[in-house]
Amino acid sequence: MKRFWYFIREAYTSIHTHQASTLIGIVTTAFTLTSFGIFLLLYHNVHNILGRVQHNIQIIVYPKDNIEPGKLHDLQQAIKTEPAVDSLIFISKQDALTEFTHQFPDEVYLLEGLGESPFPASLVLTMAAKTPTTDMISNLVNRLQHNPDIERVRYNRDWIERLTLLSAYMELGALVVGGILALASITIIANTVQLAFYAREQEIEILRLIGATSLFISIPYLIEGAILGAAGGGVALGFLRGGFELFTHKIQGLSVFGGFSSVFEFFPLPLSLLLIGGGILMGCLGTLTTIYGSMRFRL
Amino acid sequence: MIQLFHVTKYYDGCLALSDISLRIEKGECVLLTGPSGAGKTTLLKLIFGAEHPDEGQILVQNRNIARLRRSDIPYHRRTMGYVLQDFKLLPQRTVFENVALPLIIRGLSSFESRRKVTEALRAVGMEHKKSTIAFVLSAGEQQRACIARAIVNSPIILLADEPTGNLDPQLTTEIAALFKAINTRGTTVMMATHNRQVVEQLNGRILRLDCGHLLSDQGAYT
Repeated sequence: MKRFWYFIREAYTSIHTHQASTLIGIVTTAFTLTSFGIFLLLYHNVHNILGRVQHNIQIIVYPKDNIEPGKLHDLQQAIKTEPAVDSLIFISKQDALTEFTHQFPDEVYLLEGLGESPFPASLVLTMAAKTPTTDMISNLVNRLQHNPDIERVRYNRDWIERLTLLSAYMELGALVVGGILALASITIIANTVQLAFYAREQEIEILRLIGATSLFISIPYLIEGAILGAAGGGVALGFLRGGFELFTHKIQGLSVFGGFSSVFEFFPLPLSLLLIGGGILMGCLGTLTTIYGSMRFRL
Repeated sequence: MIQLFHVTKYYDGCLALSDISLRIEKGECVLLTGPSGAGKTTLLKLIFGAEHPDEGQILVQNRNIARLRRSDIPYHRRTMGYVLQDFKLLPQRTVFENVALPLIIRGLSSFESRRKVTEALRAVGMEHKKSTIAFVLSAGEQQRACIARAIVNSPIILLADEPTGNLDPQLTTEIAALFKAINTRGTTVMMATHNRQVVEQLNGRILRLDCGHLLSDQGAYT
């Protein structure tokens, strides 16, 4: 317990003594995480929208016109067992006709004299809540197309694939930009801690003299790095939240995009904590870089 | 307690110690004398584990220091105290905090630490200064605080490198008396000094070094 308070006090003393470099470290971490967070937020929302769109995808399956009722039942059962499928609605030829007459009452005359409904029966599939990937949907459609009891399968493929591609590019962008910025931040935190190291070189020498292990010497600096990173993460989260609120507020004011504002959402709690965790990790990595460099050759 | 077998040490190719062999028993008071550059500090550093010998072996309490792993060195150092000429106190901390530092490293409880620090400060006559910031202490007081820090762990061996180098004759006498008292209590004292007054006062075994060679060994245990 005494050691614990010693570590906390040492970390506090170091932060208090080197306020300027600590501030630079926090600002850099905040800048890095804000930049990374913007990408992450965009990615999160595109991914979200993609999920919603994919969930709303309706694959329409047209069974063969002459399919027996027993086989139609089997086909429905088989489709229901597909993991990507959430629900299935059977629309009979008569249902299709009724829907047409409801939707286009002025065009009903076109069907006069045709006898039974000219519309094919169909199965409308809705995708599962847990977003299926484009591959899963393609595979499902492929399998359905090869089913001898099915005449035709229809779904809007192109723009879902484009949205998926955009999402993948954003993921890659977030990783690359985040990686580069994180590296820059780690370097600056390492320099901040290095300054603290130089300033306390005599103290470190004294600690070695009286039998302190490298771990004992390092812990206050690790705490300092973690505090620095957490503060940077917190500031970044604040910036992102503020920016997000401003963005959604502005969008709401524009009549063209007004309806979209409810689609966007901020990071859920786990992602917010992850951002702060990222800051802590960067802080610790920066400190470890310095510690490793400074203690490597000392006895 | 301490044994050296044909120890040789170079610094960047320059000879610092040459083929030193000696044996120091428990409770001895050993004074390393000789001019600057004789190898006194190097010998202390080797025993302390701050340097590795290039040749030979060093046994401290039957542990071979030359083969000690880097991670074991701090634990080796905890068994001994080290007093330096330039004090090495944390200037912004109180005397109590400075002396308590080795105990914090060892993870002792607050109660035990307080007891041991008070004991050590009493032994060096600094109990009344325990709340004073080290920065404002006089040279003699700083050295006393250093000695208290070195003995707070009740070390078996106390190493001292020119501990009176920065002190006037009056303070030198006081500090030498402290070392004498510590040695009388059974701690092995090994001190590098070229102060004749200290040598006479401590009246111990004298190892005379010059240019890394052990020239003489007077008063060894038989």
